[in-house]
Order: sequence, then structure tokens, then C-alpha cells
Amino acid sequence: MNFLTQFAATEEAAGGDIFTTLGIDWRLLILQIIAFLILVWILGKFVYPWLMKSVDERQAKIEESVKAAEEAEKKAESAQEEITKLLKDARAEAKDIVTTAKDEAAAMVADAEGKAKQRAEKIVTDAHEQIEKDVIAARKALHNDTIELVALATEKIVGKTVSDGIDKKIITEAVKTEAAKERA
Amino acid sequence: MAGAKLSRRKIAAYFADEVTSGRDITKQLAAYLVESKRVREADLVVRDIEAALADRGILLTDVASSRELAVETKQAITAFLKQTTGAKDVHIRSHVDPYLLGGVRIDTPGARLDTTLRHRLNQLTASKI
Repeated sequence: MNFLTQFAATEEAAGGDIFTTLGIDWRLLILQIIAFLILVWILGKFVYPWLMKSVDERQAKIEESVKAAEEAEKKAESAQEEITKLLKDARAEAKDIVTTAKDEAAAMVADAEGKAKQRAEKIVTDAHEQIEKDVIAARKALHNDTIELVALATEKIVGKTVSDGIDKKIITEAVKTEAAKERA
Repeated sequence: MAGAKLSRRKIAAYFADEVTSGRDITKQLAAYLVESKRVREADLVVRDIEAALADRGILLTDVASSRELAVETKQAITAFLKQTTGAKDVHIRSHVDPYLLGGVRIDTPGARLDTTLRHRLNQLTASKI
């Protein structure tokens, strides 16, 4: 309020031109306007294009960078997908390999078990056959030894025990037996 | 008899006929064999003569035993041989062989009856596997 009061008092005291009242020299003002326009023209002619060019270039670089980043991101996503796919394929392949390996191992184990079983059965069969042969051979040997022993013992005993009477009886009975056979 | 070479069968038949008719031509037979250089056939001729005699009812038999045979035993053997062969006359040539252990072995022309213990032991031994 005090400032407005003072301004009004000054206005009344000067009594006329507003530029003078405000302390503005219109010639100086024109010069300043011309100078400003020249400055604007210089700026528009030399500085601003260069500045805009620089800004455009920078913006282009930024856009390029953004584009490259986007491409990189896309590539990264593509790579990630590819990696995921590769991992998936690798896992599937690994699973197949493991399954195949398990199947082959199971087949090998089954084959080995079968062969081992056959071999064991063959060994048992051979052993039985060998035992049977040994038993037969032992029986034969025992039979032959018994016969030989009986013959030897009979010869020894008969040679000492058979008397004339017994011999006569043996001969008579043998003759009777043969005669009975002839009659029959 | 000294001319052509006679077969053993004919010689045996002739000899058997002569013997059965009561003539002993043993010396003539021996002379014939010597003269015709057939001494090696003597055993075969004797065997054929025994066979020829057997055909005529005269049986010559070899009886082997481990002990000397008793008269009763010889009679039993003679009766047995007459029964089985149909021979009218049986002549026994007995031999003692202790190796036979017991029993008797009777050899007739074309047949043998072996009831000796040695034979049975041999059969037993032969039955070895």
C-alpha cells in the first residue's frame, strides 16, 4: 500500500509521459530490441541449428540405443527361449539316455542272471551225471570185487572142505538133475 | 587101404564097423596113417572114430573129476549117458584133476556136460561187469 501511494505521488509529480515516469528510454529500448532481434537471428542462424542438430543426433543415438537395447532384449528373450528349449531338449534327451541306460542295464542284468542260472544248472546237471557215473562205477567195482572175493574164498574153502562123500553127492545130484532135464 | 587117400569119415566108419564086429584093426590104422603121412590127423581121426562108434551105440566118454570116481558114481554116469544118448555100451575114461575142485565134467563126441565147481566159479568170475 505504501508503494502504490508513492508511485501515484511520483506520477503526479512528473506530469506526463509513462516511459519517462517508468524511467524507460524509448530509443534505448529500440536499440535493445534491435540488438535482441540480432541476437535472436544469430542464435537462430548459427547456434540453434547446431544445437538442434546435436540434439537430433543425440536423440537419434538414444533412439538407436533404445532400439539396440530393444533388439538386445528381444535377442536376449529369444536366446532365453532358445536356452529354455535347449535345456528342455537336453533334459528330455538326458531323460531318454538315462531311461535307455536303465533299460540296457536291466537287460544286461537279466541276461547275466539268465546265463548265470543256465551255467549253474549245467554245473548241477554235470555234477549229478558225474555222481551217477561214479556211483555206477563204484557199484560195478564193488560187484566185481565181491565176485572175485567170493570166487577166491569159495575156491579156498571148497578145496579144503569138500570130501569124497560130498563130491560124490555133488556128482550124483548133478547127474540126476541133468537126467531130469533130459526127460523133461 | 594104402592106395588112394581116404577121407577121415570113411576111415572112421570102417574102423567102427570093424571094431563092432569084433576085429581090432588099430595097428593097421596106425600103419596107414604113417604110410600115407597123415599122422598129424591122428587126433582128428580118433575123434571121428568116436563119433562113428557113438552112432553105432558105443559111447566113449572122458570123465574128469577132482577125485577118483567111486564105482557107484561111474555107474550113475553110465546110466545117465545111456539114458541121454541112447547108447548100448558106454566106456568111461576117467581123469583126476584137482583143479576142478569138485563135481564132474563129461565129454562125449559132440557134447560136454560140465558140473564142476571150477566151471561154476569161472562162470561167476565171467559175470563181472
